[in-house]
Amino acid sequence: MSPMALRSLNLPGVGTKYEFETDKGDTVAIFFTKNGTIQMYTLQKGCHTPSAAEMTPVEARRLGNILTGAIIEADQESVEVAFSALADLRVTLHSYIIPKAISGKTIEDLRIRAKTGTTVIAVSRNDKNIVNPPPSFVFETGDAVLVIGESDQLRLLEREIMVD
Amino acid sequence: MEGIIIALFVCLVLALVSKYLSIPAIPFYIIAGVVLGQAGLGIVASDQISSFFSDMGLIFLLFFVGLGLKVDKISENQSEVLTSGIIDLNVNMLIGFIAAYLLGFSLVEALIVAAAFYSSSTAMTVTSLIENRKLMMRESETIIWLMVFEDLVLIVILAFLSAGNENLLLFAVEIFIGLALIYVLAHYGKEFLVSILDRDDELPVLFTFVAVVATAGVALTLGVPDTLMVIALGAAFATTDPDAFEQHARPFKDVFMVIFFVFFGITINLSGNVSFGVIAIICLLAIASKLISGILTGLALYGSARSGLEIWANTIGRGEFSIALAALYGSPPVALTIAVMVIVTSLVGSFTAKYSTTFTRSFSGKGRRHGPTRRVQAGH
Repeated sequence: MSPMALRSLNLPGVGTKYEFETDKGDTVAIFFTKNGTIQMYTLQKGCHTPSAAEMTPVEARRLGNILTGAIIEADQESVEVAFSALADLRVTLHSYIIPKAISGKTIEDLRIRAKTGTTVIAVSRNDKNIVNPPPSFVFETGDAVLVIGESDQLRLLEREIMVD
Repeated sequence: MEGIIIALFVCLVLALVSKYLSIPAIPFYIIAGVVLGQAGLGIVASDQISSFFSDMGLIFLLFFVGLGLKVDKISENQSEVLTSGIIDLNVNMLIGFIAAYLLGFSLVEALIVAAAFYSSSTAMTVTSLIENRKLMMRESETIIWLMVFEDLVLIVILAFLSAGNENLLLFAVEIFIGLALIYVLAHYGKEFLVSILDRDDELPVLFTFVAVVATAGVALTLGVPDTLMVIALGAAFATTDPDAFEQHARPFKDVFMVIFFVFFGITINLSGNVSFGVIAIICLLAIASKLISGILTGLALYGSARSGLEIWANTIGRGEFSIALAALYGSPPVALTIAVMVIVTSLVGSFTAKYSTTFTRSFSGKGRRHGPTRRVQAGH
């Protein structure tokens, strides 16, 4: 695999530019502009006009997640992180929306850790975040929760607990 | 005071409209000023308060110029920046100066018209490159560096003009002392500056405002040009954390600049002894001379006239710096000429920037085509 030549430079008044050419000769350029938006240009080899997309930082992060190979659904997204210092430990962070069926139950009631091995590490309700919720935390329909675990454990969680 | 509020309210409405149509707002502010002011309805007149705010607008604009100064970055791609910068400077300054002089302006007036004629609007150019999604074009980099070069030349012009009739040696010594003082403060006070900027209370904003205003005030008391000192302050602050300073100074700049533009329009006097024929010729030349410099630059850097057209299309608009020169040094006829030139070129420029890709293609027809970015990577 040939090393990808990534060029980055500062454009005064505009922002930072990253550009690289793929093995097949296509060019991708990303600009982080000073006004906070991110523009991505792709130029197919042999073409003359690039196509461009402008993104907010949130949208750009989503795109980044997709490109790193994580699954993204409408309201649910996940990131897999590998830690080389821990014998290539791969953990996944996945977000879920609490379905009606488990509304009103606590983390303890549902025995999430015992049944699946996953841990709820954050809950977002009405735009407020609760990090490391206690076992007595009561879920409500529509809460967005962030769960950490291995991918098999998360699949178990989806089958056993996050069901409508 | 009511005058400022009426003017600002009108500008707010115009800003909304211009953002919606994605054309630059500066020409609208000036037109609003002309309509509201002594040349038009006479509803708003400038007073002490408005001229204080206008001065603040100019001072903050120049502070931003200083913050953006990156001389070290220029030396990195020296030859390209110099080639385009020198072509742009020579062609436009010369055409502007000769035209203004032949059309009956005095030598000094012609020089000011030429400087305003030369300097494209950095703000409009950068915004239009981003909004029209042209950042990837190879010409964009050239254009962006061209703006940096123009800013540097503008500083030299400001220094030259503010020297006026003073003893040049004494003037240079004064400026040197002022610069040295600012740099010493910024250098030895770096840790203090950073510690202030890191706070999340009102201190960073208050400090930025007071630093800029106080520098201008002290400069005026000492008799050194405040314009240059404020630029120097920006350049000195840029060695610490330019982004933080930009963030703290931006609200002041944004609001005061609007006041500056609208009151520039308000004080314009239409009865100045300059005929509309003269102004029309200057406007047409302003568009044509950037075409010449653009095509020469395109040929010199890329061997392509089409690249030159692209550079032209994005640098036609004159704006904040031209108005600044007019406000600082322009006689009434000069101010009127520059105001109309800014209005015409910025509107034409926003149109050409938007549609340049379409018309450069139809211009070059089936001729040579060049990819937007062709930079051969080493090791490929």
